[in-house]
Amino acid sequence: MKLRTFGSVFALGCGLAAGAAMAEYPERPINMIIPYGAGGATDISARTIAEPLGEAVGSPLVMANVTGAGGATGSVAVQNANADGYTMLFARVGSHSVNPAMKATLPYTLDDFRFVTVYEINPVACAVRPDSGIESMEDLIAQVGEGGVSYSSSGVGSLLHLAGAMVLKEFGIENPLTEATHIPQQGGGAAATAVLNGTATFLCTNSSALASFVANDQLTPLMVTTEEPVVGFDAPTANDLGKPVLNQLVGWTGIAGPDDLPDDVAAKWGDWMATATADEDFRSSMEERGSVIDLMDPEEANAFILEQYTTFRDLVDELGMRIEG
Amino acid sequence: MSLLDSLAAGFALVGNVEAFFMLFCGLIVGVVGGAIPGLSATMAVALTLPFTFAMTPINGILLLLGVYKGGIFGGSIPAILIKTPGTPASSATILDGHPLAERGEAGRALGMALYASCTADAVSNLALILFAGWLASFALNFGPPEFFALILFSLTIIAGVSGESLLRGALSALAGLLLATVGLDLIYGTNRFTFGDPNMMGGLNFIAVLIGLFAIPEIIAMAWNPVAHLGKTRALGKSRCSLADYLGSFKSIIRGSMIGVFLGSIPGIGAAPSAFLSYSEARRTSKNKANFGKGEIEGVAASEAGNNGVAGATLIPLLALGVPGDVITAIIIGAFMVHGLQPGPMMFVLNADIIYGLFIGLIVSSVFLLLVGSIAIRGFRFVADVPKRILMPGVLVLCIYGVFAVNNNIFDVGVMFVMGWLGYVMMRNRIPAAPFLIAFILGPLLEDNFRQSMLMSGSDPLILFRGPITWTFWTLTAITVVAITRSTLRQKVPLS
Repeated sequence: MKLRTFGSVFALGCGLAAGAAMAEYPERPINMIIPYGAGGATDISARTIAEPLGEAVGSPLVMANVTGAGGATGSVAVQNANADGYTMLFARVGSHSVNPAMKATLPYTLDDFRFVTVYEINPVACAVRPDSGIESMEDLIAQVGEGGVSYSSSGVGSLLHLAGAMVLKEFGIENPLTEATHIPQQGGGAAATAVLNGTATFLCTNSSALASFVANDQLTPLMVTTEEPVVGFDAPTANDLGKPVLNQLVGWTGIAGPDDLPDDVAAKWGDWMATATADEDFRSSMEERGSVIDLMDPEEANAFILEQYTTFRDLVDELGMRIEG
Repeated sequence: MSLLDSLAAGFALVGNVEAFFMLFCGLIVGVVGGAIPGLSATMAVALTLPFTFAMTPINGILLLLGVYKGGIFGGSIPAILIKTPGTPASSATILDGHPLAERGEAGRALGMALYASCTADAVSNLALILFAGWLASFALNFGPPEFFALILFSLTIIAGVSGESLLRGALSALAGLLLATVGLDLIYGTNRFTFGDPNMMGGLNFIAVLIGLFAIPEIIAMAWNPVAHLGKTRALGKSRCSLADYLGSFKSIIRGSMIGVFLGSIPGIGAAPSAFLSYSEARRTSKNKANFGKGEIEGVAASEAGNNGVAGATLIPLLALGVPGDVITAIIIGAFMVHGLQPGPMMFVLNADIIYGLFIGLIVSSVFLLLVGSIAIRGFRFVADVPKRILMPGVLVLCIYGVFAVNNNIFDVGVMFVMGWLGYVMMRNRIPAAPFLIAFILGPLLEDNFRQSMLMSGSDPLILFRGPITWTFWTLTAITVVAITRSTLRQKVPLS
């Protein structure tokens, strides 16, 4: 026992002396926190990348769902963790750009995290029920003028909440908050159900969440927010409709650590992600679900998230959507 | 493709040892997972999910369904033996199951739980296979106003599980409603009673509250007076569930299965309210009304039928609409998506082989459940023979482990202990815990649906009376309230 203690102290001393203690990173399993529940979009995405990523890292990844408060509970757990690279977070559009833009009382800001990558982009689509009589965005906007239009979301401060307001705003509705009604639901599945059973008129959410409803003709897509058309969605793109600003409205999944994460750890993650996302199985299974694999290095990821955050925050300020309480 | 072709294709898919083996494994994992306090059926399914990624779709989904069904039954084992629901759905089973075990009839209660579970499971699977389309389109008629009326009606269950005193039951329910308000407000997204703590923003963890309320008070009482139970015979259970028991409760089992099928097919309610509703209906119509809550075998049968009746039926909205009905099916839908399957009406056309394969697997699962359950009972029965002084510390360790594992959060363990002391105080003052739990589950649903209705109508309360469904539930509520009032007055049941 003594010998081992001595050995480890000696090793630590050597490491410090050489200034290369982190060169050994990772020397133990890395905890990966998923701030959303099992079976959701973030969870599936995280667990799909975990396999090739684990091989690239060469050390086991321990996946843990820490759920609650729209991703805030899990995010706080990483915010408060040691910045040694052994506790990392699967960050998502909801927890790390919409929520910070909308909630004044959120216990964290974007500055509390260092993003090492964004690896997946999910197009957003808007959809209505086929028997609603609405066939295009134009019809929808016309109906807003007549009143009685509502949209569902997976909760206040979710991507769906912001997306509904942003889309209406871009299509010329002066004040989407008063002219249309936002009906929050408990979770994404419930939000889609609300449109299916007529509780709400439309919803805008990740195309992957809508794919099965569109394929089953239960919902009609009105538009997608990407530049390129989305496979399986017979709907115009935002650019076709002359609203390129809506390109900002996309979902994404990335990986983040606490803000003082060392540079060399971030650099390692960049390398690992490059290896992991090159994996054929990973790419095909993600693309099958409607995701676009778009690997960003730490700088690109930070710039991308900041730009989206700024766009959202300006919109929130303009519409007075900020949640203060 | 004709029905026969589809059936044949389904057989071809599941007609291999592997598929049935997966189902069997799933049931074992589920029963064991459900039987460990704190490690709920939901947790067991979530833990199994990643293993299914590498399997063929049918094997993976059958494995998950096995875990689900096994878990819902497995939860009744600790509920009966150590007064700790293994999974939220089995909390109703405690009411009569545990008193039976205290009387040394654990074997009888466990047997009844198993037979009721398997019967309800079979009924539920049949409903799924025969009426999926019809039930799904019915479920789509449930908007927020209908939900509100249904939940309001369900709150009348509180009267049925209040035990000797209605006032104490109501007090307990009020406390439950109050604690359920902690967390983010659904409509405004503002913090309620979080005291600036991010851990409270997600609300109090349900499993932590559940374990705290039921298991911890027993442990505290044990620590308080470690020799109190000595001398009482608990020697368990040679007793078995007889055919007469089963037949005597058959009506309640079938009624419970129906309630389960009905509530399961409506997305968003789940198994726990169903078990309580089934229990309170059985109590209301029983000749032995007074014996409910003191160890009535029919109560165990009704609760277990109520929760297992949900298990097959939650697949109705999942398969027919592509909508997850509760937390567990939300995880299972993830497995569908991983395999590129898109549940919904078109799946019956595009992947008819998988659908029929699942149906065949489901039918077999009821039989497997009987098998796995019998073995599990044989094994677990002897837990009741373990001296309490040795058993309880073990239970405590399991509870802490289970509650921590739900969310990998030590805060939840704290919640469990605080709730444990609350539960202990309630126990000492003869305040029943079940109304607390029902209010804790239903309170947020009631509030959310009420406020969603108000958003829909622009604050016009008339929307709460739209359509025949709301009227049905309003009438049922009125009848039940009148009946409760009258029986309370007539029997001169003391209010307090």
